[in-house]
Amino acid sequence: MEENINNGVEEQESANHEPTSVPVLNPSIPSGEQTVWADVASLLDSACNDLQDGELIHGDNFNLFAAMSALEIMDPKMDSGIVCRYYSVDEAIEDGAAPIPLSLNKTVDVHCMIDVMDHMLSCEATWHKGHSLAQTIFSCIYLLRPDRTSSHALLHSYCTVIRSTCNAVISAVSDSRTHEEEDLFTITSGLPLKRDGDEKCLSMLNVIEETISRQLHACKSPSHKKRSIEDIEPLQTNLDLEEGYCKAVLCRLRFRKHFYHVLVCLRRPQGRGLELARKHIASCLVELDSILKTEEFLRANNRNGMWEDGMESEDSTTASGCQPIGFDSTLNSRLSAPTPPRAIKVFCWKKAVEYFQKLLHDLDIVCSHPIDPLHEGALRFVVEFQKLQPDLVARSHLQLLLVQDGKLFGRDPIFTMICKAAAVPELAKNLDIQKNESFVHLCQLAITLLKILCTNAAWQRRQLGKVLQDWRIIHMQLEIALRKEFEESSSTSLDENLCMKIYKNILNWVEEQTYWIAFRFLILGFELELYAPSEYCMVYWYIYVILIKLGEKMHLRMITNSETAKRKGKKKRESMKDVAREPAIPPAVLLLQCQIYLAEGLTLMISALRNEHGVFQCRGPFNSEQERFIQHFELLQKACIPDHVSYYTFRDYTAHSQFDTLIMCNYFKEAQRIAKELRGSFVNDKNKLTELRHIEQVAEHNGIALNLVSRLGSLDPSLKVSFEFNHHPHFATAVVKRS
Amino acid sequence: MEETTTPDGSIVDESEIEYVSYAGEHHLPLIMRLVDEELSEPYSIFTYRYFVYLWPNLSFLAFHKGKCIGTVVSKMGEHRNTFRGYIAMLVVLKPYRHKGIATELVTRSIKVMMESGCEEVTLEAEVTNKGALALYGRLGFIRAKRLFRYYLNGVDAFRLKLLFPHPELPPSHPYSHSNTVMSSVLESYEAHELGP
Repeated sequence: MEENINNGVEEQESANHEPTSVPVLNPSIPSGEQTVWADVASLLDSACNDLQDGELIHGDNFNLFAAMSALEIMDPKMDSGIVCRYYSVDEAIEDGAAPIPLSLNKTVDVHCMIDVMDHMLSCEATWHKGHSLAQTIFSCIYLLRPDRTSSHALLHSYCTVIRSTCNAVISAVSDSRTHEEEDLFTITSGLPLKRDGDEKCLSMLNVIEETISRQLHACKSPSHKKRSIEDIEPLQTNLDLEEGYCKAVLCRLRFRKHFYHVLVCLRRPQGRGLELARKHIASCLVELDSILKTEEFLRANNRNGMWEDGMESEDSTTASGCQPIGFDSTLNSRLSAPTPPRAIKVFCWKKAVEYFQKLLHDLDIVCSHPIDPLHEGALRFVVEFQKLQPDLVARSHLQLLLVQDGKLFGRDPIFTMICKAAAVPELAKNLDIQKNESFVHLCQLAITLLKILCTNAAWQRRQLGKVLQDWRIIHMQLEIALRKEFEESSSTSLDENLCMKIYKNILNWVEEQTYWIAFRFLILGFELELYAPSEYCMVYWYIYVILIKLGEKMHLRMITNSETAKRKGKKKRESMKDVAREPAIPPAVLLLQCQIYLAEGLTLMISALRNEHGVFQCRGPFNSEQERFIQHFELLQKACIPDHVSYYTFRDYTAHSQFDTLIMCNYFKEAQRIAKELRGSFVNDKNKLTELRHIEQVAEHNGIALNLVSRLGSLDPSLKVSFEFNHHPHFATAVVKRS
Repeated sequence: MEETTTPDGSIVDESEIEYVSYAGEHHLPLIMRLVDEELSEPYSIFTYRYFVYLWPNLSFLAFHKGKCIGTVVSKMGEHRNTFRGYIAMLVVLKPYRHKGIATELVTRSIKVMMESGCEEVTLEAEVTNKGALALYGRLGFIRAKRLFRYYLNGVDAFRLKLLFPHPELPPSHPYSHSNTVMSSVLESYEAHELGP
């Protein structure tokens, strides 16, 4: 460090000043024991005179974090305490920003109430999408003073159900702990989130719903215009609009009711509420459709004696297009301090409705998952689910469903699940073996893996990279335990044999999981756009190496699993490639084989392009390809996944690839052929069929590109090859163009 | 040599760009104005001073005919047992872009880091900032991580890293690691570096 930032100024700060007589202040904050308030203005003034430009008085712990936390007062980009409109909620209320009733005109009151509901929905979606609760839902002044609303039944019940819903969502997200980078979501400090009586939100909602249903019913009867209906007071005063307003309010209330039910049902233990949750999800979707249909009515009537606003309908946060009353997003901004306020744009109403439709569809998929205790099934389900890019709330609920009390679906102990997955003989489940420390660790790892898979892709990849080492270590520990078991064993040979089998199967399973995690880690890099085209070659090579290992372990497990394959399986321990030509290979392994061919084909095609055309090379002024390799695969290399693989292995593998040899053994053609043959094996598996189709497309296009480049490449220097992900999320398709 | 026209109509000749190392308080307002105008994150004056006072040799400014048109602000120090450089801010005014000025600025800073014994250099960039990502990619940076909603404006960031070559280390092996304690993944807290 070249220079000390404080220039020694802090040492002098008090030296020059005699304590002068200080006027007695009368502050509202008590000074505390043995201290008094004093005016330091003159002291600061003299200190300032001693300071030169650029000097700073600071403590020893003034670091980057402290510097970044400092605010420049009155800079709107930084100062979250800056007063925008009102000093306080009370001032806003006094100023009439949140009147109750919303209007003395009953029709206007209902219309404004609907605007509040719509804007709240927009705020809620914005919150779910990652903005703070304080700046979204709790920009509603009515929510900030919950006791004020009790005289307005509709407003009061609506606010209550919103609060309860927020609480339910927050508790799901915090319980699932999938929100590591999304913790803004659960920050609720200083907000009136809970109020006595909130637990009655559904009965309050039911009462008001019933009243409005009756009002709707009454206005539909032919005689209603004469206002002769017994004692039913209409919702508002303009009887021509009564039906429209009743309907608009009802679908909004019903949506809230069903949505709250969904959240409650999803949290029932062991997935017992899933079926009911699906019914409520369906009802929510119906109500959302009804809500959308009220737009026309609300827009047509928004000039009915009410204010107009020049808002574009596309940006509007309400169906009517009116600005809602009772909201001020700046009131809470200082709750975010010392973090500067985040820029926030509330979703428009249409986008908010779309968000909820997507959320409900995602939750419906969560509910539709069969509660079966198969580990592989659960993993596959999560991976497929993640392809839909679900948001935090849906992912949290999936995780809560999968892992409850450390058990799969809260029912099946993880050890049983692992035994099943690893094809361990039935007998084993009663053995003492599961009390072994290594097995306890293994169970923890399996649970952690499930949880990680439910997190957002960016976080997930980092965590997967970290756990790889743990899976490697557990493998080592299990190996040691196995050896120990045999040395100490004095039990009968039958037990010994069984024990041996358990260990062997589980060891193989652990390795299979490890390679599966490594594979997922690598392919998530494509989804997150972490790889530059010049790095594709090494990435596909690594994927190729990992997939071969994964295929071996998976095949071995399947052989062990099936009695018939067992006899044959012991004879052959060849590499995956030769094995692929045998007819008895399980379809799942053959599917992997297709992916292996794609990865291998891409590695060799890109390296041939590098060798013969000088493109896709990693060259920079400061480092070489080796440093890029080390950085991208650091975590895999550290954990020796797989063993004996380094940058030099990659370099040797790709250094001599050329188009004329590559064309002789066209991996893409092989991949395409196997993929085609495999279709019949997965007739009932929609996801696998999609994967096969994508593989075929990539293989076909790349096969053609390979031929083209090898025939014309050296003759036509204007040919340019680029890679796109238009057929498969992580296997690239080569695009050949003349520049 | 490529030429560009500036807003006032004058032609920019690349040879007219002058690069200087941070030389004192008179440079600070120039840097602050550039960063304030061009970058999304707000920084207090303390943040600027933190960088330029502690590492004046890593901060550079680019001038054209006496006008400051670009700057880089960096730091270096120990981070989890590695000595690493960190590029905090890099700005070139719009009319002066695509002339290699940013590359020159950042290259100068990185060279000093390398000579000072840094093992690696890191920074964050918005995933939408294609220009910056391409620039750093050419310099040998890889995208090591994606940071979900990293910026105050809600945009994701990439953590970019440049590893300097170093003498070959023997490949590590987990079996030889003395530390076999499980990292409890979901409990672990990943420290976030503050950045632009």
